[in-house]
Amino acid sequence: MANLKEIRVRRESVASTRQITSAMKMVAAAKLKKAQNAIVQLRPYAEKMQEILGSLSGSIRTDKGNLYAQDRDEENILLVLITSNRGLCGAFNSNAIKAAIQGALDTYSYQMMAGQVHFVAIGKKGNDFLKRNGYNVIYNVSDIFDDLTFERSTLIAEMIMKYYVDGDYDHVDIVYNQFRNAATQILTTEQFLPIRMDELANENEVPVNVDYIFEPTKDYILQEMIPRSLKMQFYKTILDSYASEHGARMTAMHKATDNATELLKDLALEYNKARQAAITNEIIEIVGGAEALNG
Amino acid sequence: MLLEIISPDKSLYSGEILSIRVPGSKGSFEILKNHAPIISTLEKGMINIREKNGNKTSIEVNGGVIEAKNNKIIVLAENAK
Repeated sequence: MANLKEIRVRRESVASTRQITSAMKMVAAAKLKKAQNAIVQLRPYAEKMQEILGSLSGSIRTDKGNLYAQDRDEENILLVLITSNRGLCGAFNSNAIKAAIQGALDTYSYQMMAGQVHFVAIGKKGNDFLKRNGYNVIYNVSDIFDDLTFERSTLIAEMIMKYYVDGDYDHVDIVYNQFRNAATQILTTEQFLPIRMDELANENEVPVNVDYIFEPTKDYILQEMIPRSLKMQFYKTILDSYASEHGARMTAMHKATDNATELLKDLALEYNKARQAAITNEIIEIVGGAEALNG
Repeated sequence: MLLEIISPDKSLYSGEILSIRVPGSKGSFEILKNHAPIISTLEKGMINIREKNGNKTSIEVNGGVIEAKNNKIIVLAENAK
């Protein structure tokens, strides 16, 4: 049996670790709340935009050759990988990284071999991994999560959209953790560009019985709305990933705290047993000594 | 009329108004009560609002889109400050 001091030191260290994990859990919970608020804030905007796109669905169907919906041969691929800046959030980052690499190898094996799959890394963890393993990262940002605003996400979205329009890349996918609830993240690979016009029309199909005046024209509005909707989609993706990160961290830290509590209980039992054994030993020694004197 | 101006980050304005003047893509125009349903894109510029109590407010937007129907106006603004 381990000696008393060893167990005591171990107990202290587990207790202090437990304090850290439980504090981290609280912090993650607070940040999760903030991230969720931002998602809720975006919702009316997103819904209205869908509604307006819905009333334009007729134009969407007939719109051929939109700037953002060119079906080109997929030679140069851009993958956007959204991860977090910090670890201690379970399998959050490694799942996203694995999905990005696996997806690249499966779907774009030919382009991978030709070195035509490039990455944009949002979040430090993904960037570190990609750089370490020799993947071509053309752009990375990590400080966006410090102050997550629509403006900042839009700068990145615009850059990516420009790459596509200029023909630098023919296909853009985003790999990220979609937020379902605090305990569940859904790993998603989403096609960002080109836009699939049919899908856009079907998704937003709503019966419109209002006879709108369209200023200047339906087509013009559509051309204006599509980049807006792309930027919004990009912002939503980052928000989702951010909320997922804190959800994942909260769950991971919750489990760690539970484990520490369990461990402390076992250690307390062990400590008391050891203590009791020591006392018993001492009594035996005293009794033995007394008997020797009397004898 | 009920007006709501929303950006992806936050709600910029919400309230009862008498009229609103917006920088439409085809030129500036004003919406009064009982305007026909309209959807229009907006250019960078100022939105001028006359509130119910007669106060005037203006909000700068960096483009957007406006929808008005049944005396309910919604402006989706981008990057408005």
